Amino acid sequence: MPVLTQTHRNPANTLAEYPGYFPVSGAHLYTVLHQVENPVARVLLVGPFAPVRHTSYRTWVQWARYLATNRIEVLRFDYRGVGESTGSFEEMTLESWTDDVRCLAKWLRKQERNAPLLLHGLELGGLLAARVFHEGEADALMLWSTPTDANQVLRSALKHWIGPLQLSKREGERRPPSHYFRLLDEGKNVEVEGYEWSAELWRQSLTFALPAPMVPPNDPAASYKRPVRMVTLGKNAAPLVYGAVPGYEENKDFSWLFNPNSHWIASNLSVRLEAVHD
Amino acid sequence: MISSTLETRELITLGGGGVLLHGTYHKATGKTANGAAGSTKNIGVLFLNALSTPRSLIGESGVYWATSFAARGYPSFRFDLPGLGDSYGEIPNDLVKFADGGGWATIASSKVKELVHSRGLPGVVMFGHCSGATTAIYAASRSRECKGLILMDPYFNLPRSLTPSLRPGLVLWVRSSKTGALMRAGYDRIREFREALRKEKLPANANLNLLARVKQVVANGVPILIFKAPKPPAVGGSVLHAGDFDYFDYILSLAERSDQFTIKEIDDTDHSFSNRAGRLAVRQHSEAWLSEYFPETNSGDVIQ
Repeated sequence: MPVLTQTHRNPANTLAEYPGYFPVSGAHLYTVLHQVENPVARVLLVGPFAPVRHTSYRTWVQWARYLATNRIEVLRFDYRGVGESTGSFEEMTLESWTDDVRCLAKWLRKQERNAPLLLHGLELGGLLAARVFHEGEADALMLWSTPTDANQVLRSALKHWIGPLQLSKREGERRPPSHYFRLLDEGKNVEVEGYEWSAELWRQSLTFALPAPMVPPNDPAASYKRPVRMVTLGKNAAPLVYGAVPGYEENKDFSWLFNPNSHWIASNLSVRLEAVHD
Repeated sequence: MISSTLETRELITLGGGGVLLHGTYHKATGKTANGAAGSTKNIGVLFLNALSTPRSLIGESGVYWATSFAARGYPSFRFDLPGLGDSYGEIPNDLVKFADGGGWATIASSKVKELVHSRGLPGVVMFGHCSGATTAIYAASRSRECKGLILMDPYFNLPRSLTPSLRPGLVLWVRSSKTGALMRAGYDRIREFREALRKEKLPANANLNLLARVKQVVANGVPILIFKAPKPPAVGGSVLHAGDFDYFDYILSLAERSDQFTIKEIDDTDHSFSNRAGRLAVRQHSEAWLSEYFPETNSGDVIQ
């Protein structure tokens, strides 16, 4: 285990969470390890694209804690240039974020007390996790609301940003999403919700796709001979997906999502979920 | 391999009183406007969550501002309040109502005290955006350690009383859809018209408790910097906007000194101030304000 200088223990129970900075090329990734003793499995949570991060954050953390209370150790993180990680967003590419996933998966593999490793990606994170899984880096893969290519993620993010923005602009200043898509196609950077999207990120997104065995109607589990679960989340999963009303939906009960997915992990990794008690 | 410290940042916690908050400390590395090297003698800047947004704030603008202030010699701290970001805790179903009622004020003020004592700071300036500004005002009104406030797009009204009579699903639709936005705008016009007839009086949905706390903070001599985002254009004409109650005019009238309030309206940005223009303007005005009111030598006392 790494040298951790602080204990961050929930006063209400014995679960410990260790935030830290993990060095990668040219940056440090913000990580939070939800550590459990004698884990039955480990999960690397690979989060959504930057604009969804701040709306989905609490639910994503709740999911990590839910798994940890069932003796599944979890590592979650921010991509380079996003959230608490260092680095400049506009310099990042989908390849650099894939490398983040790869580095952390390898690090988790090296931890004491061998336990099967699952990569779990949400939205864009699903694409990144899928590609690292394709390289053979984990024992199982779970994807929530992962499209077949990254360009769909970027288009969706831009459309969701444009909606409220239009209401705050005068009629002559309003631009449709196609205006921004055209700028990106022309090689110009576009600023979306505080993030500077580079033309390179856009260009890369056009060909950054799910590995072929995972594209429907293929059966990825049969191809990889490792468990793969792909779940499409509806609007009821907001704020994990777009559509939440800030301030009113952060406290939703997600047991309908957490229970079956944790049981899938247990049954497919052949582990027994055990509640961690004080 | 994993570390909690970088050259300019450190991951820290505040664990007093059985409440554990996770946060990020941006070390003062630069020089203040008067040329003095940054040190822990300087006042700190404490960032609060805006509603449920994690401590980095939208577009990581909180990270940008905290990094900038620290580089100017002001140690900066961003913490997640209980139940938000990385900090443990339960939150209520209606976060807006909770924040409007000062739900986080007690914990925020006690954590300000803990931070100031644990870091040996002469005090802090609290930095809050939107509902974070509400929390900052409530907390400042009960904190001796809070020496200044930076408020971004604060609001002083409560949600319209239209909502309790509607089904929750309909309320969500009205709040989130474009058609709902038009309906809200129409409803607001009617309300504004009524309020225009009752000039000088606070509107019926004014957050009186919050305004009382503003009075208290002002009476304590705390300097306040306010950023206003451009007002969205009126939907369907602007004539009735003349009847808008100007809360900023109202709170300016409460000032104990002529220089107690500094109000800046930022163009070319939106409510989040997270775009390039918004970030830069907030940064520059805040740094100028900090160096004017909290120069390095004054150890946290306001220059009057």
